[in-house]
Amino acid sequence: MSRPAAIVFDQASVAYGRVPALEQVHGTVHQGEIVALVGPNGAGKSTLIKALLGLVPVASGSISVLGRPPALARRQVAYVPQADTLDPDFPVSVAQVVLMGRYRRIGWLRPPGRADRDAAAEALAAVGLAHRAADRFGTLSGGQRQRVLLARAIAAQPAALLLDEPFNGVDAVSQEALLATIRALAAGGAAVVVSTHDLGLAQLTCDGICLLNRHQFGFGPPGEVLTPDLLRAAYGGAALELGDRGLIVARS
Amino acid sequence: MIDFLVTPFDRPYMTRALVEALLLGALCGVVGVYVLLRRLAFLTDAVTHTVFPGVVVGFLVSGRSGVVPGALVCAVAAVALFTAIAATRRVNEDTTLAVLLTAFFAVGVILISRQRSYTADLTAFLFGHILTIDTADIVVTAVVAVLAGLVLLGLGKELLLRAFDPEWARAAGYRITALDLVSNMLIALVVVASVQAVGTVLVIAMLVVPAAAARLLSERLGVIVAVAVLVGMAGAWLGLATSYEASVGHDVRLAAGATIVLVLVAFYALVTLGQASRRLVKR
Repeated sequence: MSRPAAIVFDQASVAYGRVPALEQVHGTVHQGEIVALVGPNGAGKSTLIKALLGLVPVASGSISVLGRPPALARRQVAYVPQADTLDPDFPVSVAQVVLMGRYRRIGWLRPPGRADRDAAAEALAAVGLAHRAADRFGTLSGGQRQRVLLARAIAAQPAALLLDEPFNGVDAVSQEALLATIRALAAGGAAVVVSTHDLGLAQLTCDGICLLNRHQFGFGPPGEVLTPDLLRAAYGGAALELGDRGLIVARS
Repeated sequence: MIDFLVTPFDRPYMTRALVEALLLGALCGVVGVYVLLRRLAFLTDAVTHTVFPGVVVGFLVSGRSGVVPGALVCAVAAVALFTAIAATRRVNEDTTLAVLLTAFFAVGVILISRQRSYTADLTAFLFGHILTIDTADIVVTAVVAVLAGLVLLGLGKELLLRAFDPEWARAAGYRITALDLVSNMLIALVVVASVQAVGTVLVIAMLVVPAAAARLLSERLGVIVAVAVLVGMAGAWLGLATSYEASVGHDVRLAAGATIVLVLVAFYALVTLGQASRRLVKR
């Protein structure tokens, strides 16, 4: 990989207080790469994303985001949370949600300007939802809401994009729209880290895989990490043997 | 109708009451929308109760002019405490608030029960005395209204983001606790400004009811704010006029502050009924 490194994990361990959540993560996400965080429920995928955002402290080792500690890189990092964590009754329009991606650039005390509205509209068009701009956020389907949140992240024009389970409960159309947008962003040079349950999707669409369950089981190209041995080790009882034909991993 | 809505306010004390009520209606309408979005009704209620001993101590120390400073000291202290408690996230917020608000309230009641004019004073502090409001009270309310306007204009987008998606706001590098301190202080100031006119108990209705009615009427934040302001002001006006008409014209004494609240609640009930019947018709 000749591209410059965007995110570097160096034997990083993350803990909530004194309880270790994730240990010994080691690897690099380069600019323009899409890396999937995979592992069973409770493996520490969300925790690792929070650590990349500087919301959970690194207990030992280090994490570097765009050459800086995570908390100091926030302005160039955009986060896409799971859509169903947000109140569907909140009276905010789709356009207003996407515009939030511009707030940091706009700064305190100032209203959004023409350029900000244009950038937001462009981001919304990129996820294929320009026609829903005026609708209330909560009236959209789960997959559409997820796309709006991705548009909000794109509007921030980030150098690194972090997505927490964006494909959970998302319809096929929205999944395709999400993937196309993420790929386009990576092609533009952004580093993308996405947590997912979907091993097939991760294998098909990602340049790298970080296999986790409390600690790292592998970090590298899909062909090297998504092997029966490593999956068996990471998933334990959730891995289902299919004789000599391979292995199925249950969802949790 | 004109007679009913305009004539009472020829009298200077009624003019002052109207100006104060309209100011409060607008102020509470705007800030109430934020209370609604953040689901801060309970915190607001806690502030109103903790302000009570401050009002009493202020009154005991220097009479009516001491009420607002007393309320202010207590409100600021209470909000700082609540925000700190919420930031630690170690204790159950609701429980802590409940313990604190009843404790503060009891202190206020004990202090005032040692006065000879116990009942009259208690009533005034709990339910306000908008008909004897003076110019200084109006100035206080106007200053708070200007301050609220400035805060919401300057920090509107950050407060909106914090209310909608706090985790994302934190991830983007915003200091949630600082934003909360600002908004909670603003709520405390509104409570303090309302104490003379509608008392510590009825403020909560002024804040919550117009915003809740406006939310039922619209999905758009801008419209909700505008409607909440209109409803707050109209309710204040109508409430005062009704109370005057009943007292002077029909010899039925209606407390002005409580009448305003009832007018607001009646409007909210009408809107709710309207929505329910519309839903029935649709089926």
